[in-house]
Amino acid sequence: MEYRFLSKKGVASFVTGLLKEFRVYGPVKLVPAGSKQGKDGFPMYGEVASPDELNLLHTPTHLSPKQYLFPPKETLLKFKKGAPTSPFIPLQRGTPFLSPSGGGQGEEIAPVVEAYDQALFGVHPCDIHAIRLLDRVFAYGTPDANYLKRRERTVIIGIDCLPDKHCFCKSVNTMKAESGFDIFLHDIGSGFLAEIGTQKGKELLFKYTKTRRATLKEASKIDIFQKKKAESFTSSINAEASTLPLLYSGSYNSPVWEKIGKICYGCGSCNNVCPTCYCFDVRDEMKANLTEGERYRVWDACLLEDFAKVAGGHNFRKTRAERLRHRFNRKFQYQVDRFGGLFCVGCGRCIRTCLVNINIVEVTNELIEESNRKP
Amino acid sequence: MSSLKSQTVSHNISSPYLSRLARIERVTRLTEKERLFNIAIEDSKTLGHAPGQFIMLSIPGFGEAPISVSSPPDKGNMFELCVRAVGNLTNALHNLTKEDKIWIRGPYGKGFPVENLKHKDLLFIAGGIGLVPMRSLIKTVLNERSSYGSVHLLYGIKGPDEILFKDELLQWGRTGNINIQITVDKPHPEWKGHTGVVTTFIPPLKIDETKTAAIVVGPPVMYKYVIMSLGDKRIAGHDIYLSLERRMKCGLGKCGHCQINSIYVCQEGPVFRLSNIRYLREAI
Repeated sequence: MEYRFLSKKGVASFVTGLLKEFRVYGPVKLVPAGSKQGKDGFPMYGEVASPDELNLLHTPTHLSPKQYLFPPKETLLKFKKGAPTSPFIPLQRGTPFLSPSGGGQGEEIAPVVEAYDQALFGVHPCDIHAIRLLDRVFAYGTPDANYLKRRERTVIIGIDCLPDKHCFCKSVNTMKAESGFDIFLHDIGSGFLAEIGTQKGKELLFKYTKTRRATLKEASKIDIFQKKKAESFTSSINAEASTLPLLYSGSYNSPVWEKIGKICYGCGSCNNVCPTCYCFDVRDEMKANLTEGERYRVWDACLLEDFAKVAGGHNFRKTRAERLRHRFNRKFQYQVDRFGGLFCVGCGRCIRTCLVNINIVEVTNELIEESNRKP
Repeated sequence: MSSLKSQTVSHNISSPYLSRLARIERVTRLTEKERLFNIAIEDSKTLGHAPGQFIMLSIPGFGEAPISVSSPPDKGNMFELCVRAVGNLTNALHNLTKEDKIWIRGPYGKGFPVENLKHKDLLFIAGGIGLVPMRSLIKTVLNERSSYGSVHLLYGIKGPDEILFKDELLQWGRTGNINIQITVDKPHPEWKGHTGVVTTFIPPLKIDETKTAAIVVGPPVMYKYVIMSLGDKRIAGHDIYLSLERRMKCGLGKCGHCQINSIYVCQEGPVFRLSNIRYLREAI
């Protein structure tokens, strides 16, 4: 493991350097009267124009950096209806039309795959783990060009953090990120230690800021911080992470689902803030001229009533209890079977955002208790 | 990181949402709500589908939806879709006529394992528009009728006005060496045939359970009862094939709408062996 020491000023010049090559996104400072503070009081990610805007020692953000790899709304295709003789007008540079001559009526469709160089600055370990899971989801089977092209052009600069009262990453083994970042920053008081994750990260660090080799004494402060972090959790799941898939599989008929189903609004907020929720809807929209339009995807939520409803009217998860059970199982069992690794990274966002205080840790602990009571 | 990093190197992948242009060659009104569309792919390449697979059909501005292919595999660029008008897209489709254009991508999903069905007795059980994807397999079987044993088709619909492919059913019955039995849910003044649910046909059937495969496609409510009746006939779950309907938005195993537990119906299905999903909660 290679650590480089950089001063607080050094971090600032690193950011300034990155801004020359990348769009930089990071947790932004809370501005009491400003627009960048989340309405619910949590810090938010935003695009930064200078290092002063960054709030590096932040508590968990409202939305995760997922939004920069898998945007809430993303155009997939642009289309154009017109006369067969209409001139060939590229909708986007570098993307060829499917049928350059126009399709009889002159209908044209062009794929849109947008990506630019971006740096995510100040990503917490839980979100780094979440991005690794999303990488798998969008790469398996038919690769998702839109996500993967963005991912390819993204550098990740992580930073270590301390838990708030809802964080429980220690319970799902995501308290530390061993990989999945280009650079990872550890705050050691007098400055930061930069852990090198990739060659690219190292090159950028050396290019844009002054660093020196960290001393052993400095490096030992990381362990001290980790220990302090491990002892700071107030929220935890009362079982080993590896036992959770089996626990959930055995809890399908638990009365817990009905109980929380009764209070759930089915609003889908938990889906929207979750760093590993990736379900989406695909929709078409025409411009007012009715000749041009686009097909786009938007974040969808399995807690919403229509999520599993088919055209004929049958709804495969009619009740909120069923939909909650589905979401919880996706985090602890279903996606684990499909992709490996728990899909809950312990960020606590669904707990903070829930309007009726449904708490994934408490629910899981209740299931554990229930299963312990079983003979 | 090494394994994940390599997954994100993706220089040459193109958008999987890009569709192929296709042309409507003929529209046939089958019932009040269902029409059959004969479609030609503009680039003259074959669709290359297996019976039971589906495509994503779209009309720009109206959206995209999964539709089962209703014709058997064909070397040419033609295929057929039978579509019920129930939503935005399907109603728009019903307004199209000959020479109009649509966009398609696919085929997607796993279809019926035709090779496994050869030399077996086949018991087709269809409910409502379940006959649409099944027709692709039935016609595949009829094209090579001597490779199969006896063939039964049990078909249940709400009323006589909703019978799909009437002429073909008559023709299959006459020349295809198939035992076809049709039932309607409720009595109808003009209906002289059988009335009741489709499962009532199953007990009297003479079946050799050791060499029979059952193919079942219908609305969700039908599966449970058909499966029980087939169990009474001692047909193994291994020999029962079902096609499951789910909401789908991408067809690529990503959007999450078709998920049943850890299964994505658009990837592992829509055709499943009963023995593989009997214990899959929420499947049936």
